[in-house]
Amino acid sequence: MLQNQIKEEKSLLQRGWWLALLILLSLIAPFVISEFYLTILCEALVMSLLALSFNLLFGYMGQLSFGQAAFYGLGGYAVAMLMTKAQFNFWLSLIAGPVLAAIIGLIVGYFCVRLRGIYFAILTLAFGELIFFIVFKWHNFTGGDDGIQGVFPPEFLKSLISYYYFILIVFLLSAFILWKIIHSPFGQTIISMRENSERTEFLGINIARYQLIAFVIAAAFAGLAGAIWVPFYRSVAPSYLTWIKSGEPVMAAILGGPSLFFGPILGMFIMTFFHAWVLGFTVYWPVVMGALILVVIFFLPGGILGFIQEKVHQRRERLNQLMEK
Amino acid sequence: MFLQTQGITKEFGKLRAVNNVTLEIKKGDIHAIIGPNGAGKSTYFNLVTGYHRATSGKVLFRDKEITNLPAYSRCNLGITRSFQITSIYPKLTVYESVLMGLLSHRKVTLNFFSSAKKFFKEEVWRTLEDVGLADQANTLGDSISHGDKKRLELAITLGTEPELLCLDEPTCGMSPEETDIAMSLIKKFSEERGLTILFTEHDMSVVFGIAKRISVLHQGTLIADGTPQEVRASEEVQKVYLGGSA
Repeated sequence: MLQNQIKEEKSLLQRGWWLALLILLSLIAPFVISEFYLTILCEALVMSLLALSFNLLFGYMGQLSFGQAAFYGLGGYAVAMLMTKAQFNFWLSLIAGPVLAAIIGLIVGYFCVRLRGIYFAILTLAFGELIFFIVFKWHNFTGGDDGIQGVFPPEFLKSLISYYYFILIVFLLSAFILWKIIHSPFGQTIISMRENSERTEFLGINIARYQLIAFVIAAAFAGLAGAIWVPFYRSVAPSYLTWIKSGEPVMAAILGGPSLFFGPILGMFIMTFFHAWVLGFTVYWPVVMGALILVVIFFLPGGILGFIQEKVHQRRERLNQLMEK
Repeated sequence: MFLQTQGITKEFGKLRAVNNVTLEIKKGDIHAIIGPNGAGKSTYFNLVTGYHRATSGKVLFRDKEITNLPAYSRCNLGITRSFQITSIYPKLTVYESVLMGLLSHRKVTLNFFSSAKKFFKEEVWRTLEDVGLADQANTLGDSISHGDKKRLELAITLGTEPELLCLDEPTCGMSPEETDIAMSLIKKFSEERGLTILFTEHDMSVVFGIAKRISVLHQGTLIADGTPQEVRASEEVQKVYLGGSA
Protein backbone atom coordinates (compact mmCIF):
# COMPACT_ATOMS: atom_id res chain seq x y z
CA MET A 1 0.00 0.00 0.00
CA LEU A 2 2.80 2.38 -0.93
CA GLN A 3 0.39 4.85 -2.44
CA ASN A 4 -1.07 5.27 1.01
CA GLN A 5 1.72 7.68 1.88
CA ILE A 6 1.27 9.91 4.87
CA LYS A 7 -0.91 12.79 3.92
CA GLU A 8 1.13 15.65 5.16
CA GLU A 9 -1.77 17.46 6.57
CA LYS A 10 -0.93 21.08 6.21
CA SER A 11 -2.55 22.93 9.00
CA LEU A 12 -3.55 26.50 8.54
CA LEU A 13 -0.46 27.54 10.44
CA GLN A 14 1.93 25.56 8.31
CA ARG A 15 0.78 27.11 5.07
CA GLY A 16 3.34 29.36 3.55
CA TRP A 17 1.09 32.35 2.92
CA TRP A 18 0.62 32.95 6.62
CA LEU A 19 4.31 33.06 7.18
CA ALA A 20 4.94 35.22 4.13
CA LEU A 21 2.32 37.69 5.32
CA LEU A 22 3.82 37.85 8.81
CA ILE A 23 7.33 38.37 7.45
CA LEU A 24 6.04 41.06 5.09
CA LEU A 25 4.27 42.80 7.98
CA SER A 26 7.41 42.68 10.11
CA LEU A 27 9.43 44.15 7.22
CA ILE A 28 7.12 47.14 6.86
CA ALA A 29 6.45 47.53 10.60
CA PRO A 30 9.04 50.32 11.19
CA PHE A 31 7.17 52.48 8.68
CA VAL A 32 3.69 51.99 10.07
CA ILE A 33 4.03 51.78 13.85
CA SER A 34 5.32 54.29 16.37
CA GLU A 35 8.82 54.15 17.86
CA PHE A 36 7.33 53.04 21.14
CA TYR A 37 5.64 50.03 19.59
CA LEU A 38 8.69 49.28 17.45
CA THR A 39 10.69 49.03 20.67
CA ILE A 40 8.05 46.68 22.05
CA LEU A 41 8.23 44.67 18.84
CA CYS A 42 12.02 44.33 19.28
CA GLU A 43 11.46 43.06 22.80
CA ALA A 44 8.75 40.66 21.64
CA LEU A 45 11.07 39.18 18.99
CA VAL A 46 13.97 38.73 21.40
CA MET A 47 11.75 37.23 24.08
CA SER A 48 10.13 35.00 21.46
CA LEU A 49 13.56 33.60 20.68
CA LEU A 50 13.98 32.88 24.39
CA ALA A 51 10.53 31.25 24.41
CA LEU A 52 11.40 29.12 21.37
CA SER A 53 14.59 27.94 23.05
CA PHE A 54 12.61 27.10 26.19
CA ASN A 55 9.96 25.26 24.19
CA LEU A 56 12.51 22.96 22.60
CA LEU A 57 12.80 21.49 26.10
CA PHE A 58 9.22 21.95 27.30
CA GLY A 59 6.99 21.48 24.28
CA TYR A 60 9.12 19.00 22.36
CA MET A 61 11.22 17.15 24.93
CA GLY A 62 8.62 17.31 27.70
CA GLN A 63 10.91 18.77 30.38
CA LEU A 64 10.08 22.01 32.16
CA SER A 65 13.16 24.20 32.53
CA PHE A 66 12.71 26.90 35.11
CA GLY A 67 16.15 28.36 34.65
CA GLN A 68 16.19 29.40 31.01
CA ALA A 69 16.68 33.09 31.87
CA ALA A 70 20.07 32.24 33.40
CA PHE A 71 21.35 31.43 29.90
CA TYR A 72 19.63 34.48 28.47
CA GLY A 73 21.36 36.62 31.11
CA LEU A 74 24.72 34.91 30.60
CA GLY A 75 24.52 35.67 26.87
CA GLY A 76 23.80 39.28 27.72
CA TYR A 77 26.60 39.52 30.28
CA ALA A 78 29.09 37.92 27.90
CA VAL A 79 28.41 40.64 25.32
CA ALA A 80 28.38 43.45 27.89
CA MET A 81 31.57 42.40 29.65
CA LEU A 82 33.54 41.61 26.52
CA MET A 83 32.56 44.88 24.87
CA THR A 84 32.98 47.19 27.84
CA LYS A 85 35.79 45.54 29.81
CA ALA A 86 37.81 43.69 27.16
CA GLN A 87 37.03 46.07 24.29
CA PHE A 88 36.02 43.14 22.12
CA ASN A 89 34.52 43.68 18.72
CA PHE A 90 30.67 43.65 18.67
CA TRP A 91 30.40 40.61 16.42
CA LEU A 92 32.89 38.53 18.37
CA SER A 93 31.10 39.45 21.60
CA LEU A 94 27.83 38.50 20.01
CA ILE A 95 29.14 35.05 19.16
CA ALA A 96 30.59 34.69 22.67
CA GLY A 97 27.08 35.07 24.17
CA PRO A 98 25.59 31.80 22.90
CA VAL A 99 28.95 30.05 23.24
CA LEU A 100 29.21 30.91 26.94
CA ALA A 101 25.56 29.99 27.47
CA ALA A 102 26.14 26.65 25.73
CA ILE A 103 29.22 25.88 27.84
CA ILE A 104 27.40 26.66 31.08
CA GLY A 105 24.39 24.80 29.67
CA LEU A 106 26.60 21.75 29.19
CA ILE A 107 27.71 21.86 32.83
CA VAL A 108 24.25 22.56 34.27
CA GLY A 109 22.60 20.14 31.86
CA TYR A 110 24.99 17.34 32.82
CA PHE A 111 23.34 17.26 36.24
CA CYS A 112 19.77 18.17 35.23
CA VAL A 113 19.26 15.55 32.51
CA ARG A 114 19.60 12.79 35.08
CA LEU A 115 16.26 13.87 36.49
CA ARG A 116 12.76 13.99 35.08
CA GLY A 117 9.59 15.99 35.65
CA ILE A 118 9.34 18.19 38.71
CA TYR A 119 12.87 17.28 39.85
CA PHE A 120 14.29 18.47 36.54
CA ALA A 121 12.30 21.71 36.88
CA ILE A 122 13.48 22.30 40.45
CA LEU A 123 17.11 21.61 39.61
CA THR A 124 17.04 24.01 36.64
CA LEU A 125 15.47 26.58 38.96
CA ALA A 126 18.19 25.96 41.57
CA PHE A 127 21.00 26.30 39.02
CA GLY A 128 19.35 29.40 37.56
CA GLU A 129 19.23 31.03 40.98
CA LEU A 130 22.80 29.95 41.70
CA ILE A 131 24.02 31.65 38.52
CA PHE A 132 21.92 34.71 39.36
CA PHE A 133 23.47 34.98 42.83
CA ILE A 134 27.00 34.62 41.49
CA VAL A 135 26.36 37.46 39.02
CA PHE A 136 24.55 39.51 41.67
CA LYS A 137 27.20 39.13 44.38
CA TRP A 138 30.38 39.22 42.33
CA HIS A 139 30.46 42.98 42.22
CA ASN A 140 34.08 43.41 41.12
CA PHE A 141 33.64 41.23 38.09
CA THR A 142 30.03 41.61 36.98
CA GLY A 143 29.09 44.96 38.47
CA GLY A 144 26.74 43.23 40.90
CA ASP A 145 23.34 44.86 41.26
CA ASP A 146 24.54 47.88 39.24
CA GLY A 147 24.81 45.75 36.16
CA ILE A 148 26.84 47.02 33.21
CA GLN A 149 25.95 50.11 31.22
CA GLY A 150 27.22 51.63 28.01
CA VAL A 151 27.01 48.60 25.75
CA PHE A 152 26.71 50.17 22.33
CA PRO A 153 26.22 48.43 19.01
CA PRO A 154 28.30 49.49 16.00
CA GLU A 155 27.43 52.82 14.40
CA PHE A 156 25.31 51.40 11.59
CA LEU A 157 23.13 49.52 14.11
CA LYS A 158 22.63 52.43 16.49
CA SER A 159 19.31 53.59 15.11
CA LEU A 160 16.15 51.87 16.32
CA ILE A 161 15.12 50.83 12.81
CA SER A 162 18.46 49.32 11.84
CA TYR A 163 18.73 47.39 15.11
CA TYR A 164 15.14 46.23 14.67
CA TYR A 165 16.05 44.71 11.30
CA PHE A 166 19.13 43.15 12.85
CA ILE A 167 16.98 41.55 15.57
CA LEU A 168 14.47 40.42 12.95
CA ILE A 169 17.15 38.72 10.85
CA VAL A 170 18.67 36.95 13.87
CA PHE A 171 15.20 35.91 15.04
CA LEU A 172 14.12 34.56 11.63
CA LEU A 173 17.38 32.66 11.12
CA SER A 174 17.25 31.20 14.64
CA ALA A 175 13.57 30.27 14.31
CA PHE A 176 14.34 28.58 10.97
CA ILE A 177 17.20 26.58 12.50
CA LEU A 178 15.04 25.54 15.47
CA TRP A 179 12.24 24.57 13.08
CA LYS A 180 14.66 22.40 11.12
CA ILE A 181 15.97 20.81 14.33
CA ILE A 182 12.48 20.01 15.57
CA HIS A 183 11.54 18.33 12.28
CA SER A 184 14.84 16.47 11.97
CA PRO A 185 15.58 12.93 13.17
CA PHE A 186 17.03 14.52 16.32
CA GLY A 187 13.76 16.41 16.84
CA GLN A 188 11.78 13.22 16.26
CA THR A 189 13.95 11.53 18.88
CA ILE A 190 13.34 14.12 21.60
CA ILE A 191 9.61 14.11 20.78
CA SER A 192 9.57 10.34 21.15
CA MET A 193 11.37 10.76 24.50
CA ARG A 194 8.60 13.08 25.61
CA GLU A 195 5.97 10.58 24.51
CA ASN A 196 7.57 7.49 26.04
CA SER A 197 11.15 7.68 27.23
CA GLU A 198 11.22 4.03 28.29
CA ARG A 199 10.19 2.86 24.84
CA THR A 200 12.75 5.16 23.25
CA GLU A 201 15.55 3.91 25.49
CA PHE A 202 14.66 0.37 24.49
CA LEU A 203 15.08 1.40 20.86
CA GLY A 204 18.74 2.15 21.57
CA ILE A 205 18.62 5.82 22.52
CA ASN A 206 20.74 7.13 25.39
CA ILE A 207 18.09 9.41 26.89
CA ALA A 208 20.45 11.48 29.05
CA ARG A 209 22.75 12.17 26.10
CA TYR A 210 19.96 13.44 23.87
CA GLN A 211 18.46 15.50 26.67
CA LEU A 212 21.86 17.07 27.24
CA ILE A 213 22.26 17.95 23.56
CA ALA A 214 18.80 19.56 23.52
CA PHE A 215 19.62 21.38 26.76
CA VAL A 216 22.81 22.83 25.27
CA ILE A 217 21.04 23.89 22.06
CA ALA A 218 18.29 25.56 24.10
CA ALA A 219 20.90 27.30 26.28
CA ALA A 220 22.76 28.56 23.20
CA PHE A 221 19.64 30.10 21.65
CA ALA A 222 18.64 31.63 24.99
CA GLY A 223 22.17 33.05 25.18
CA LEU A 224 21.84 34.44 21.67
CA ALA A 225 18.57 36.15 22.64
CA GLY A 226 20.30 37.81 25.60
CA ALA A 227 23.31 38.69 23.45
CA ILE A 228 21.26 40.61 20.88
CA TRP A 229 19.06 42.31 23.49
CA VAL A 230 21.79 43.90 25.63
CA PRO A 231 23.32 46.16 22.91
CA PHE A 232 19.78 47.24 22.05
CA TYR A 233 19.05 48.17 25.65
CA ARG A 234 22.64 49.46 26.09
CA SER A 235 22.90 47.73 29.48
CA VAL A 236 22.53 44.48 31.38
CA ALA A 237 21.41 43.79 34.95
CA PRO A 238 21.15 40.72 37.22
CA SER A 239 17.36 40.86 36.90
CA TYR A 240 17.82 39.27 33.45
CA LEU A 241 18.77 36.01 35.16
CA THR A 242 16.06 35.74 37.79
CA TRP A 243 13.48 32.99 38.11
CA ILE A 244 10.83 35.62 37.40
CA LYS A 245 12.39 36.15 33.99
CA SER A 246 12.52 32.35 33.55
CA GLY A 247 8.78 32.29 34.17
CA GLU A 248 8.08 34.46 31.12
CA PRO A 249 8.82 31.81 28.47
CA VAL A 250 6.90 29.28 30.58
CA MET A 251 3.82 31.52 30.56
CA ALA A 252 4.26 32.38 26.89
CA ALA A 253 4.35 28.70 25.92
CA ILE A 254 1.25 27.91 27.98
CA LEU A 255 -0.55 30.95 26.64
CA GLY A 256 0.23 30.35 22.96
CA GLY A 257 0.36 26.55 22.97
CA PRO A 258 3.48 24.52 23.74
CA SER A 259 2.73 21.75 21.25
CA LEU A 260 2.96 24.09 18.27
CA PHE A 261 6.08 25.74 16.97
CA PHE A 262 4.47 29.17 16.72
CA GLY A 263 2.62 28.85 20.05
CA PRO A 264 5.33 30.37 22.30
CA ILE A 265 5.89 33.18 19.76
CA LEU A 266 2.22 34.10 19.81
CA GLY A 267 2.18 33.82 23.61
CA MET A 268 5.22 36.08 23.95
CA PHE A 269 3.82 38.65 21.51
CA ILE A 270 0.53 38.76 23.44
CA MET A 271 2.36 39.08 26.76
CA THR A 272 4.78 41.78 25.61
CA PHE A 273 2.24 43.97 23.82
CA PHE A 274 -0.44 43.40 26.44
CA HIS A 275 2.08 44.33 29.12
CA ALA A 276 2.96 47.60 27.34
CA TRP A 277 -0.72 48.39 26.85
CA VAL A 278 -1.90 47.48 30.36
CA LEU A 279 0.89 49.50 32.00
CA GLY A 280 -0.68 52.53 30.36
CA PHE A 281 -3.52 52.50 32.88
CA THR A 282 -2.56 50.22 35.78
CA VAL A 283 0.56 49.03 37.56
CA TYR A 284 -1.18 45.79 38.55
CA TRP A 285 0.07 43.95 35.47
CA PRO A 286 0.64 40.62 37.26
CA VAL A 287 -3.05 40.51 38.23
CA VAL A 288 -4.13 40.98 34.62
CA MET A 289 -1.59 38.44 33.38
CA GLY A 290 -2.60 35.97 36.07
CA ALA A 291 -6.26 36.26 35.03
CA LEU A 292 -5.31 35.72 31.38
CA ILE A 293 -3.30 32.60 32.19
CA LEU A 294 -6.18 31.26 34.30
CA VAL A 295 -8.63 31.74 31.43
CA VAL A 296 -6.29 29.94 29.02
CA ILE A 297 -5.63 27.04 31.39
CA PHE A 298 -9.32 26.50 32.14
CA PHE A 299 -10.86 27.17 28.74
CA LEU A 300 -8.05 26.67 26.21
CA PRO A 301 -5.85 23.92 27.66
CA GLY A 302 -3.85 23.59 24.43
CA GLY A 303 -3.12 27.32 24.41
CA ILE A 304 -4.61 29.92 22.07
CA LEU A 305 -2.98 28.54 18.95
CA GLY A 306 -3.78 24.99 19.99
CA PHE A 307 -7.43 25.99 20.32
CA ILE A 308 -7.44 27.68 16.89
CA GLN A 309 -5.80 24.69 15.27
CA GLU A 310 -8.29 22.32 16.87
CA LYS A 311 -11.20 24.39 15.55
CA VAL A 312 -9.70 24.53 12.06
CA HIS A 313 -9.12 20.77 12.17
CA GLN A 314 -12.71 20.11 13.26
CA ARG A 315 -14.02 22.34 10.49
CA ARG A 316 -11.93 20.55 7.91
CA GLU A 317 -13.13 17.17 9.20
CA ARG A 318 -16.75 18.33 8.86
CA LEU A 319 -16.10 19.56 5.33
CA ASN A 320 -14.46 16.26 4.42
CA GLN A 321 -17.44 14.34 5.79
CA LEU A 322 -19.83 16.53 3.82
CA MET A 323 -17.82 16.01 0.66
CA GLU A 324 -17.79 12.25 1.19
CA LYS A 325 -21.61 12.29 1.46
CA MET B 1 26.93 -19.04 21.90
CA PHE B 2 24.15 -16.57 21.24
CA LEU B 3 22.68 -15.56 24.60
CA GLN B 4 23.58 -17.09 27.90
CA THR B 5 22.88 -16.27 31.50
CA GLN B 6 25.33 -17.71 34.00
CA GLY B 7 24.10 -18.11 37.57
CA ILE B 8 22.10 -14.94 37.31
CA THR B 9 20.39 -13.75 40.47
CA LYS B 10 18.23 -10.76 41.26
CA GLU B 11 17.27 -9.76 44.76
CA PHE B 12 14.77 -7.08 45.73
CA GLY B 13 15.57 -6.53 49.39
CA LYS B 14 15.08 -9.93 50.99
CA LEU B 15 13.14 -11.32 48.05
CA ARG B 16 15.18 -13.37 45.61
CA ALA B 17 13.12 -13.00 42.43
CA VAL B 18 15.55 -14.85 40.17
CA ASN B 19 17.82 -17.43 41.73
CA ASN B 20 21.02 -18.59 40.10
CA VAL B 21 19.57 -19.19 36.63
CA THR B 22 21.95 -20.59 34.03
CA LEU B 23 20.33 -20.81 30.64
CA GLU B 24 21.28 -20.65 26.99
CA ILE B 25 19.13 -19.29 24.18
CA LYS B 26 20.18 -20.57 20.78
CA LYS B 27 20.20 -18.47 17.65
CA GLY B 28 17.04 -18.81 15.58
CA ASP B 29 15.03 -20.42 18.40
CA ILE B 30 11.63 -19.38 19.60
CA HIS B 31 12.25 -19.78 23.30
CA ALA B 32 9.52 -19.45 25.89
CA ILE B 33 10.00 -18.70 29.57
CA ILE B 34 7.04 -19.94 31.56
CA GLY B 35 6.11 -20.29 35.18
CA PRO B 36 3.31 -19.50 37.61
CA ASN B 37 2.65 -15.96 38.76
CA GLY B 38 5.62 -14.66 40.72
CA ALA B 39 7.95 -17.27 39.23
CA GLY B 40 10.42 -14.59 38.12
CA LYS B 41 9.71 -14.68 34.37
CA SER B 42 9.45 -10.94 33.93
CA THR B 43 12.41 -10.30 36.22
CA TYR B 44 14.54 -12.75 34.25
CA PHE B 45 13.38 -11.01 31.11
CA ASN B 46 14.31 -7.64 32.59
CA LEU B 47 17.78 -8.90 33.46
CA VAL B 48 18.36 -9.98 29.87
CA THR B 49 17.11 -6.71 28.36
CA GLY B 50 18.77 -4.35 30.84
CA TYR B 51 15.68 -3.12 32.62
CA HIS B 52 17.16 -4.47 35.86
CA ARG B 53 20.77 -5.04 36.85
CA ALA B 54 21.65 -8.46 38.22
CA THR B 55 22.62 -8.82 41.87
CA SER B 56 25.08 -11.50 40.80
CA GLY B 57 25.81 -13.70 37.80
CA LYS B 58 26.47 -12.82 34.20
CA VAL B 59 24.59 -12.17 30.97
CA LEU B 60 26.54 -12.96 27.80
CA PHE B 61 25.46 -12.04 24.29
CA ARG B 62 27.56 -13.36 21.42
CA ASP B 63 30.26 -14.20 23.97
CA LYS B 64 30.42 -10.64 25.19
CA GLU B 65 29.47 -9.84 28.76
CA ILE B 66 26.56 -7.40 28.85
CA THR B 67 25.60 -7.79 32.52
CA ASN B 68 26.14 -4.15 33.37
CA LEU B 69 25.33 -2.56 30.03
CA PRO B 70 22.40 -0.12 30.02
CA ALA B 71 19.29 -1.00 28.05
CA TYR B 72 20.08 1.27 25.10
CA SER B 73 23.51 -0.32 24.63
CA ARG B 74 21.99 -3.81 24.64
CA CYS B 75 19.51 -2.62 22.05
CA ASN B 76 22.34 -1.34 19.91
CA LEU B 77 23.91 -4.80 20.11
CA GLY B 78 20.70 -6.32 18.74
CA ILE B 79 18.48 -7.04 21.76
CA THR B 80 15.06 -5.37 21.63
CA ARG B 81 12.01 -5.94 23.74
CA SER B 82 8.29 -5.39 24.04
CA PHE B 83 6.53 -4.81 27.34
CA GLN B 84 3.73 -6.66 29.11
CA ILE B 85 1.76 -3.42 29.28
CA THR B 86 1.99 -2.24 25.70
CA SER B 87 4.56 0.49 25.35
CA ILE B 88 3.94 2.66 22.31
CA TYR B 89 3.87 6.37 21.48
CA PRO B 90 0.29 7.54 22.18
CA LYS B 91 0.56 10.90 20.43
CA LEU B 92 2.71 9.86 17.48
CA THR B 93 1.14 8.40 14.38
CA VAL B 94 1.63 4.73 13.64
CA TYR B 95 3.99 5.74 10.81
CA GLU B 96 6.10 8.04 13.00
CA SER B 97 6.31 5.38 15.70
CA VAL B 98 7.71 2.75 13.34
CA LEU B 99 10.04 5.34 11.82
CA MET B 100 11.54 6.03 15.26
CA GLY B 101 12.91 2.49 15.56
CA LEU B 102 14.57 2.80 12.17
CA LEU B 103 16.01 6.25 12.85
CA SER B 104 17.61 4.90 16.00
CA HIS B 105 18.90 1.68 14.52
CA ARG B 106 20.33 3.29 11.39
CA LYS B 107 22.14 5.89 13.52
CA VAL B 108 20.66 9.03 12.02
CA THR B 109 19.22 10.48 15.22
CA LEU B 110 22.04 13.02 15.40
CA ASN B 111 21.02 14.50 12.07
CA PHE B 112 19.76 17.99 12.92
CA PHE B 113 18.75 19.48 9.62
CA SER B 114 17.11 16.93 7.31
CA SER B 115 13.40 16.23 7.53
CA ALA B 116 12.84 13.03 9.54
CA LYS B 117 9.97 12.01 7.26
CA LYS B 118 12.31 11.75 4.27
CA PHE B 119 14.10 8.79 5.85
CA PHE B 120 13.39 5.10 5.31
CA LYS B 121 9.96 5.51 3.70
CA GLU B 122 10.17 2.16 1.96
CA GLU B 123 11.26 0.30 5.09
CA VAL B 124 8.52 1.86 7.22
CA TRP B 125 5.81 0.98 4.72
CA ARG B 126 7.14 -2.54 4.33
CA THR B 127 7.09 -3.07 8.10
CA LEU B 128 3.60 -1.58 8.35
CA GLU B 129 2.40 -3.90 5.61
CA ASP B 130 4.09 -6.87 7.26
CA VAL B 131 2.20 -6.31 10.51
CA GLY B 132 -1.01 -5.23 8.77
CA LEU B 133 -1.09 -1.63 9.96
CA ALA B 134 -0.47 0.21 6.68
CA ASP B 135 -4.07 1.43 6.47
CA GLN B 136 -3.71 3.03 9.91
CA ALA B 137 -0.41 4.78 9.20
CA ASN B 138 -1.82 8.24 9.91
CA THR B 139 -3.72 7.23 13.05
CA LEU B 140 -2.38 8.21 16.45
CA GLY B 141 -1.00 5.39 18.58
CA ASP B 142 -3.63 5.76 21.28
CA SER B 143 -6.51 5.67 18.78
CA ILE B 144 -6.00 2.09 17.58
CA SER B 145 -7.38 -1.11 19.13
CA HIS B 146 -5.53 -3.03 21.84
CA GLY B 147 -4.52 -5.81 19.47
CA ASP B 148 -3.28 -3.27 16.96
CA LYS B 149 -1.25 -1.55 19.69
CA LYS B 150 0.49 -4.85 20.38
CA ARG B 151 1.21 -5.19 16.67
CA LEU B 152 2.42 -1.62 16.56
CA GLU B 153 4.83 -2.29 19.38
CA LEU B 154 6.08 -5.30 17.47
CA ALA B 155 6.51 -3.12 14.37
CA ILE B 156 8.41 -0.47 16.36
CA THR B 157 10.80 -3.07 17.75
CA LEU B 158 11.27 -4.61 14.28
CA GLY B 159 12.49 -1.20 13.12
CA THR B 160 15.63 -1.75 15.17
CA GLU B 161 16.29 -4.90 13.11
CA PRO B 162 17.03 -6.95 16.23
CA GLU B 163 18.78 -10.28 16.40
CA LEU B 164 17.09 -11.17 19.66
CA LEU B 165 13.53 -10.01 20.12
CA CYS B 166 12.24 -10.33 23.68
CA LEU B 167 8.46 -10.29 23.99
CA ASP B 168 6.93 -9.99 27.44
CA GLU B 169 3.47 -11.56 27.31
CA PRO B 170 2.94 -10.73 23.62
CA THR B 171 -0.70 -11.83 23.63
CA CYS B 172 -1.67 -10.32 26.98
CA GLY B 173 -5.22 -8.93 26.81
CA MET B 174 -5.80 -10.12 23.23
CA SER B 175 -8.89 -11.87 21.93
CA PRO B 176 -8.36 -15.44 20.60
CA GLU B 177 -8.44 -14.11 17.02
CA GLU B 178 -5.91 -11.40 17.81
CA THR B 179 -3.74 -13.97 19.58
CA ASP B 180 -3.71 -16.18 16.50
CA ILE B 181 -2.73 -13.26 14.27
CA ALA B 182 -0.01 -12.11 16.65
CA MET B 183 1.53 -15.55 17.05
CA SER B 184 1.53 -16.26 13.33
CA LEU B 185 3.25 -12.90 12.83
CA ILE B 186 5.91 -13.77 15.39
CA LYS B 187 6.47 -17.12 13.74
CA LYS B 188 6.66 -15.49 10.34
CA PHE B 189 9.26 -12.94 11.49
CA SER B 190 11.31 -15.62 13.15
CA GLU B 191 11.42 -17.61 9.92
CA GLU B 192 11.73 -14.79 7.41
CA ARG B 193 14.11 -12.51 9.26
CA GLY B 194 16.04 -15.18 11.14
CA LEU B 195 15.02 -13.59 14.43
CA THR B 196 15.65 -15.30 17.72
CA ILE B 197 12.64 -14.84 19.95
CA LEU B 198 12.57 -15.05 23.71
CA PHE B 199 9.11 -14.66 25.17
CA THR B 200 7.15 -15.05 28.37
CA GLU B 201 3.56 -16.16 28.12
CA HIS B 202 0.82 -17.39 30.40
CA ASP B 203 -1.32 -18.98 27.68
CA MET B 204 -0.10 -22.58 27.45
CA SER B 205 -1.74 -23.23 24.07
CA VAL B 206 0.30 -20.35 22.67
CA VAL B 207 3.50 -21.58 24.29
CA PHE B 208 3.21 -25.17 23.17
CA GLY B 209 1.97 -24.11 19.76
CA ILE B 210 4.95 -21.97 18.82
CA ALA B 211 7.95 -22.49 21.12
CA LYS B 212 10.82 -24.68 19.99
CA ARG B 213 12.28 -24.62 23.46
CA ILE B 214 10.72 -23.93 26.84
CA SER B 215 12.29 -23.01 30.18
CA VAL B 216 10.25 -23.22 33.33
CA LEU B 217 10.86 -21.02 36.34
CA HIS B 218 9.43 -21.66 39.76
CA GLN B 219 10.04 -19.29 42.66
CA GLY B 220 12.92 -17.77 40.74
CA THR B 221 14.66 -21.08 40.09
CA LEU B 222 14.97 -22.86 36.75
CA ILE B 223 13.29 -26.23 37.15
CA ALA B 224 13.13 -27.41 33.53
CA ASP B 225 14.57 -26.54 30.16
CA GLY B 226 14.01 -28.43 26.98
CA THR B 227 11.77 -29.09 23.99
CA PRO B 228 7.99 -28.76 24.50
CA GLN B 229 7.75 -32.56 24.69
CA GLU B 230 10.46 -32.79 27.33
CA VAL B 231 8.91 -30.04 29.41
CA ARG B 232 5.46 -31.55 29.09
CA ALA B 233 6.84 -34.87 30.32
CA SER B 234 8.67 -33.37 33.28
CA GLU B 235 7.09 -34.50 36.54
CA GLU B 236 8.35 -31.51 38.44
CA VAL B 237 6.83 -29.12 35.91
CA GLN B 238 3.51 -30.95 36.07
CA LYS B 239 3.60 -30.80 39.84
CA VAL B 240 4.40 -27.12 40.32
CA TYR B 241 2.95 -25.55 37.25
CA LEU B 242 0.72 -27.63 35.03
CA GLY B 243 -1.16 -29.21 37.89
CA GLY B 244 -0.53 -32.64 36.45
CA SER B 245 -2.94 -32.09 33.57
CA ALA B 246 -0.52 -31.42 30.73
